[in-house]
Amino acid sequence: MFFTIIGICIGSVLFALLGYLIGGFVEGCDRRISARMQGRVGPKIRQPFWDISKLFKKEKASTNPSENTYITCALVLLVISGGVFFAGSNLLLSIILSTLSTLFFIMAAYSSRSPFSTAGGAREILQVLSYEPMEYFMAIIFYIVIGSFNVITVSLQPQPLIVYGWPVFIGMLFIQLVKLRKSPFDLSTSHAAHQELLQGTLTEMSGPALAKAKLMHWYETVLMLGWTAMFFLDARPESWIVAVVAAIVAWFLDIWIDNNFARVKWQSMISWCWGITLCTSIVNFIFVSLL
Amino acid sequence: MSKPSKSPWVIHYDASSCNGCDIEVLSALTPGFDLERFGVINTGDPKHADVFLVTGGVNTQNISVIQQIYDQMLEPKVVIACGACACSGGVFHSCYNLIGGVDKAIPVDVYVPGCAVHPTQLIDGFIKGLEILDKKAALMSSKKKNKQISQSSGVQAIPSPEAAEHKENSLNQETPVQKEETKRGA
Amino acid sequence: MLAIGVLILSPLIAGCILLCCRGDISRNVIVALSSVVIALASIYVFVSGITSGPQFFTFESQIVDVVCTIVGALLSIIVLAFSIKYKNIWAFLLACIQLVGSLFFDLTMASGISVPQSLYFDNLTLVMVLIIGIVGCSICVYACGYMEDFQAIHANEKDRRPIFFAIMYVFLSGMYLLVFSNNMSWMFTGWEITTVCSFLLISYTRTQEAIHNAFRQIIMNMAGGIAFLAAMMYVVVNIHTLNFDAFLHTGVLDPALVLFPVVCFSFAGITKAAQMPFHTWLLGAMVAPTPTSALLHSSTMVKAGVFMLIKMAPLYAVSPVPSLMLILIGGITFCLASFIAISQSNAKRVLAYSTVANLGLIVALAGVGTAEAIWAAIFLIVFHAVAKSLMFLCVGTAEHHIGSRNIEEMDQLFQRMPKLSRAMMIGAMIMFIAPFGMLVAKWATLVTLIDSQQYALIFLMLFGSVATFAFWAKWLGKLAGVSGDPENIEGTVHKSERFAIGLMLVIALVLSATIPLSSAFVVEPYLVYVFGASHVALGPDMLVCASILTVAVAIVMLTGMHGNKQTRHIDAYFSGVAKNADLRTYVGAKGQVYAATQRNFYLDNWFGEARITPIADISTICVIVICFAIAIGHIFGLV
Repeated sequence: MFFTIIGICIGSVLFALLGYLIGGFVEGCDRRISARMQGRVGPKIRQPFWDISKLFKKEKASTNPSENTYITCALVLLVISGGVFFAGSNLLLSIILSTLSTLFFIMAAYSSRSPFSTAGGAREILQVLSYEPMEYFMAIIFYIVIGSFNVITVSLQPQPLIVYGWPVFIGMLFIQLVKLRKSPFDLSTSHAAHQELLQGTLTEMSGPALAKAKLMHWYETVLMLGWTAMFFLDARPESWIVAVVAAIVAWFLDIWIDNNFARVKWQSMISWCWGITLCTSIVNFIFVSLL
Repeated sequence: MSKPSKSPWVIHYDASSCNGCDIEVLSALTPGFDLERFGVINTGDPKHADVFLVTGGVNTQNISVIQQIYDQMLEPKVVIACGACACSGGVFHSCYNLIGGVDKAIPVDVYVPGCAVHPTQLIDGFIKGLEILDKKAALMSSKKKNKQISQSSGVQAIPSPEAAEHKENSLNQETPVQKEETKRGA
Repeated sequence: MLAIGVLILSPLIAGCILLCCRGDISRNVIVALSSVVIALASIYVFVSGITSGPQFFTFESQIVDVVCTIVGALLSIIVLAFSIKYKNIWAFLLACIQLVGSLFFDLTMASGISVPQSLYFDNLTLVMVLIIGIVGCSICVYACGYMEDFQAIHANEKDRRPIFFAIMYVFLSGMYLLVFSNNMSWMFTGWEITTVCSFLLISYTRTQEAIHNAFRQIIMNMAGGIAFLAAMMYVVVNIHTLNFDAFLHTGVLDPALVLFPVVCFSFAGITKAAQMPFHTWLLGAMVAPTPTSALLHSSTMVKAGVFMLIKMAPLYAVSPVPSLMLILIGGITFCLASFIAISQSNAKRVLAYSTVANLGLIVALAGVGTAEAIWAAIFLIVFHAVAKSLMFLCVGTAEHHIGSRNIEEMDQLFQRMPKLSRAMMIGAMIMFIAPFGMLVAKWATLVTLIDSQQYALIFLMLFGSVATFAFWAKWLGKLAGVSGDPENIEGTVHKSERFAIGLMLVIALVLSATIPLSSAFVVEPYLVYVFGASHVALGPDMLVCASILTVAVAIVMLTGMHGNKQTRHIDAYFSGVAKNADLRTYVGAKGQVYAATQRNFYLDNWFGEARITPIADISTICVIVICFAIAIGHIFGLV
């Protein structure tokens, strides 16, 4: 018990540092690749770090006193969630903590009572409604195949999780778009200006609060990449390379889709997500019980 | 130690422009000129923005809008008046409803002339604005100890000395550029 | 055993005194005193019971038997009288059947059968005792202040508060009788007391709607009661016992023998626990004053249903038909009630659907019937009782102060009633989100369902859970909203209400933070006692992680959100045309001033009552009919 908690603490601290570096780097690459896809040069890879540092140095200003508490909670809980995952601890705990983090983020959005960010918050809830079941199914299949919720156990398996869990992996790839708020599912917020919701959930956040929200996005990205990579890990050391490559490919796919598809309505989002969740998880249950 | 000029986020407001300048502002942000190379993002949200680009002159309808947007921006911030109308009212300067340039509503840091303003000119003015942004940031961090962060209400139009100086320079350059524009137009 | 007698009788005595007491002050004193006595007695019984372990008491009393018979008959007669007065044919018929049936049963069938050990307790009973004693009594205390306001609002109506308080206490008495009795006949009396008490409480205002809803409740629950009676008759005829414990032991050894009574008991439990298709009675109960709802939802009535189902869990583990009935009905109820809750804007209806949903999960877990499942079920009961009563008390107080129970009217509640909002937010968070108790129990539920390979139930549970997230999150979002500087109206909240809400809040948080302890010292011994071995789905390390996080989040929610004085206030963004951002007004294109209003989403086309309820009713009725058909067919040797 003691070791679990110490492990989670160390994992969280490391995730806070490494997740920051990797997340910023990934974000920088994302912007650069997106720019190239749009025929632009794009900013430097270091650009996101400059953005964050600038935001932290801006004046402290807010529409309401609660926002900062909520957004700080959301960030810290997300870091712990990542810490739990990368410390190799309980996958389900990681998932429910990231949900709690999202709840605080939603409350931060609602706290301003601004029309834009409240609508963004409502849409964020709909996004949770869309992606949440799939995350749990991933954990369930993980448990059925591996026999434990502990992430660390994947590195002891003779075969990677993808062999038995490929249907939920497909589902997860799809859900990733919603989770990372990539177009066509960037309902609650958007980096593109002049949309109907302005910046959605982020509209009223400014300066340090916005920086925390951006950081959350980085950590979320790293966590999602981790979840993708997890499917490809096994006892062989070379599987680590495969896992990293797979995560990169999945992430590249996200960027490609982000740049090539227009936003859908929430109805489509929920029905597609739930449809895919149902299909992939039922197929996977059947697949696992046949083997 | 990075400076705010490394990531200047922009909000663009069309005061009462004829849309000529707006198109040029957008063109500076799109692939042809790609301002995002320098970390510029068009946020559309004053709370995220560092640089306020205003096109068109101030009239009785939009003066409060400009002031509100300016108020909701966080320090440090700079205002760039883009185009002749934003600088001084331009060809509309004596219209019955027009108050004048943007500096009638809020303090302006950089005046970029032109009718319409050319993206290269805009980028040039932008870079001038970023220098001011950095200076303001440095001033802010030194003032932080005294907790006297300026809470500019933005009602009075008193440009900073640098901005005024810059205005002069810009105005001197106005004629040749305009000529150039005319040639290009022809 | 003396303490048990005190627990059963003291609410009854308090009720009788309150019936004669008309003054506000004397009533408040009596309520406070009796609540303290009952709560302390409950704690005493709990502590001594936990240390001594489960016990059966050799206690047999002809007098109690006779009293039970008389009380049962009286209850039926009360319902008969009401059904005649309000001309309700169905209630009349059912009451007749029940009167005749119970008299026949008590006087002829049960007369020869003795139950030497009529009273008992085990850890589940003790947990219930604590819930009834502390949550139930807090609600009674809360009712003092609440009913004063209520009477002030309904000033032109007759003051029926004495009878209201009397019924509340009799209700508690009935619950105690139910949880302590090992004699099924006594259990049945307790069962019927709760049914009729809630009937009387729901009809309290005597409006047409209240009467209508009260009759809906009594019809559904009397159907359950008759099923209970039928089960007892079957047991007496075939097993010759009224000893509940003996019935359970016989049933585990010979599941086929007890198939019919188990299905009947399950049916009774389902009606009482307001499972679909009988959930409408709980929704209808909303017309009653809020303390009634709080009592029905948290510590009594619906918990009586799931209490009995959990008691019978070992039977479900060996008997597939009733097990499947509970799993399907519970699972469908959990999923669909959560869906419908998204479409509700009335706070009390949201709470009601949430209750129905959570009870569905408990019912399904009872149907799974393994030690792991029962662990989760017991924790669901405990946290649901505490958090739901907290929510009801908060909503009731908010309703009296903002004049509406609509969630959309709770704008700026965080500023108008800051302490209440914090309590409400924490209550809501305990209901649905990690690391608080309810979600820990749901987490264990998920693991349990995977372990017992209940794949269909996993689907129902997961989709229900995300719906739960949706409706609580949007409510929380509403509460989180802060703007302007509205007047703080919290000063007028009654002391009794503050006390009850504060107590519930503290208990809820302490319980959440001490799950590892309560698991180790209360629930696991029960599992060992019933199943021979305890198996907890979650490791102690995860429980400790959850407690640590609970403490952290609770501290933030209680003390955070004050902001920093150095932070400059900027108005919310209104595209630069705000008139007054605090009031959400803006200037339109022609200079007119509009107010921006916003409502949450309700997804009525997807999750509306009209769309979901028929699906729920048809599917659950089919399940019940099929299960009864199998059970009855089994009696005649057809299946």
